[in-house]
Amino acid sequence: MTDATQSDTVFRPKPSLPPPANTVGAVGWLRKNLFGGPIDTIMTLLGLYIIYQIVAFAIDYGIVNAIWSADTYRECLDRNRGEGACWAGIAVWFNSMMYGRYPDEEQWRVNLGGIVLLLWLIPFWLPKITGKIQIGMSAVLTFPFLGAAMFIGGEFGLFLQVMASIALTLFVAVWLHVASTYLSGRSLPDLLVSITGFANKDDRLHKYVLLGAFGVGFVLSMIYLGSWELVEVPTTIWGGLFLTLVISGIGIASALPNGILLALGRRSKMPVIRVFCTAFIELFRSVPLITILFMAVTMMPLFLPVEFNPPKLAMVIVAVCIFAAAYMAETVRGGLQAVNKGQYEAAQAMGLNFWKMMALIVMPQALKLMIPNIVGSFMGLMKDTTLVSIIGLYDILLMGKAAGQNPSWLGFHTEPLLFTAMFFFVLCFAMSKYSQHLERTIGGGYGRR
Amino acid sequence: MSLETQELDDVVHVASAISDEVVIELAGVNKWYGEFHVLKDINLSVNKGERIVICGPSGSGKSTMIRCINRLEEHQAGDIIVNGTEMGNNLKNIDAIRRDVGMVFQQFNLFPHLTVLENCTLAPIWVKNMPKAEAEQIAMQYLERVKIPEQALKYPGQLSGGQQQRVAIARSLCMSPTIMLFDEPTSALDPEMISEVLDVMVGLAESGMTMLVVTHEMGFAKRVADRVIFMDQGEIVEQNTPDEFFTNPKSDRTKLFLSQILAH
Repeated sequence: MTDATQSDTVFRPKPSLPPPANTVGAVGWLRKNLFGGPIDTIMTLLGLYIIYQIVAFAIDYGIVNAIWSADTYRECLDRNRGEGACWAGIAVWFNSMMYGRYPDEEQWRVNLGGIVLLLWLIPFWLPKITGKIQIGMSAVLTFPFLGAAMFIGGEFGLFLQVMASIALTLFVAVWLHVASTYLSGRSLPDLLVSITGFANKDDRLHKYVLLGAFGVGFVLSMIYLGSWELVEVPTTIWGGLFLTLVISGIGIASALPNGILLALGRRSKMPVIRVFCTAFIELFRSVPLITILFMAVTMMPLFLPVEFNPPKLAMVIVAVCIFAAAYMAETVRGGLQAVNKGQYEAAQAMGLNFWKMMALIVMPQALKLMIPNIVGSFMGLMKDTTLVSIIGLYDILLMGKAAGQNPSWLGFHTEPLLFTAMFFFVLCFAMSKYSQHLERTIGGGYGRR
Repeated sequence: MSLETQELDDVVHVASAISDEVVIELAGVNKWYGEFHVLKDINLSVNKGERIVICGPSGSGKSTMIRCINRLEEHQAGDIIVNGTEMGNNLKNIDAIRRDVGMVFQQFNLFPHLTVLENCTLAPIWVKNMPKAEAEQIAMQYLERVKIPEQALKYPGQLSGGQQQRVAIARSLCMSPTIMLFDEPTSALDPEMISEVLDVMVGLAESGMTMLVVTHEMGFAKRVADRVIFMDQGEIVEQNTPDEFFTNPKSDRTKLFLSQILAH
């Protein structure tokens, strides 16, 4: 072997030359992508013309000829001969499309509930916060109860009061945790342990401190919730975007955990569990959602005792959850199969039991692979919830339709549909963008595999 | 210097530290994949501190045999006893054995979503309930032992194959196993990386670890093994000390195999 330094020929790279003119910069881009040849040029000009026509129509219809204030649809038509939008109607019907027939003076409850949920989820995007999984789990598992207590109101039973109190305690704890992290630089459990003087004691005692703190918060919440005197708003008059978000929110939040359990069950070695899960998935995946909804609201009550008469909304939510779980199960199963068998073997060889192997090794990898499919299912589910309008729940779509049947607003159909479409687009597009962000940021170490 | 470039005759054998205590006992082990009989009546007993190299043509059942020892594969007949615990269908026994037996795979099988350090601390924290700080301290000791402490915060995907395999060895050692199984640990590596992994394994042998190594690295066998086992068609054809095995193989099948593997 010869030594490189003694070699006669020394490698010198050639100097880099500038690229030819007209291939870089804006001009280069235009030449390459839009005006590459005669056909390209014609297509570009045609495209520009079509875009111009659409945009011009949109501006004419939506802005120039639009009517912004009117009392009836007739008035709009008289003023612009139907050549422009009647946004005045949206202004009149806005409240209905948001809240349905939820009483005006009680709508603050819905708004407050939404704000609480948003605040609960904000720590997810704060970089310093620890225990994000626990925060997410607490929100998903307990917020629905707090929400139910706030939105329904009236005299709620002991069960709902206990669950809502747990939720309230956890919510306050999450924000104390945020405050403690940013003010003292320590997480809430650490701070509690050191304030109470248990820092030097045995680690095993620490959890009693936390349990004690939780207990105090829980009792305070129980007392506070007991003092609530909210007017009862039955679910039958809920509606609009609020109803859409309630149904799709619960459906989406429950889909992933239920889907994971069903997918694991379908891959189980235990025949009873496997057969049950497979049958469940195949049955509900093969039936249209609308059929399940009809079954839930018309057939189910026939099989239940007369005195047990759950509200229609509860039936619908259960139906949507079942449907979503069955779909999600197959998405999750696909992700599980994409994880290398060696990962399972390495986890087993280290002595991890089944659930730890799944939670620590397999699921994190599978979920990352599944993000596009999961979000696809979520978006599908969100849009599918408009089917509840067929069984007479006044979600945003049916509320918009109802607007056009009001005597003063007969024929007012296009604008509510556009408005509804805009809402779904904003919500789904946001989900899509967030999923792309997640794909880029989760597990930075994947770069080279 | 790399092991494989050395002449086999020059190799100085690592001192043995075999005790009388039997830690692994395979008695009449049989296994089938459907109709295919992979392991045929395997009898093997391994003493504490013994280093065993298992070689043989592909499909001879060598990997399957060592994978039965920590129940990655289930055997259908015969007994496997590891550290006095009988391997049956009892999950507790299987867990106890797996905690005592470390395994290194051909494809490394590091967890790609965790850093090197997290790979090493995961099992001590979640299986042995060790506090995180202590687990990290132990992990750093072993990463130093395999000579890559500076990579602790990188992800496996950012390391070379040889580095990944050394992390995999450190990860197993973090559970302080008494027995280590190696399933072709260098077969997926580029040639220039084989020696760095073998060096770590030689160091492990010097520390007196009980090792079962499936490998085609005959230099390693010659230097480290107390016993070389040759398998073919699901049977143990021949077992002997490395000196006897390489210079004076008894069976025709072994001679043919050795002539093929040492020819180049």
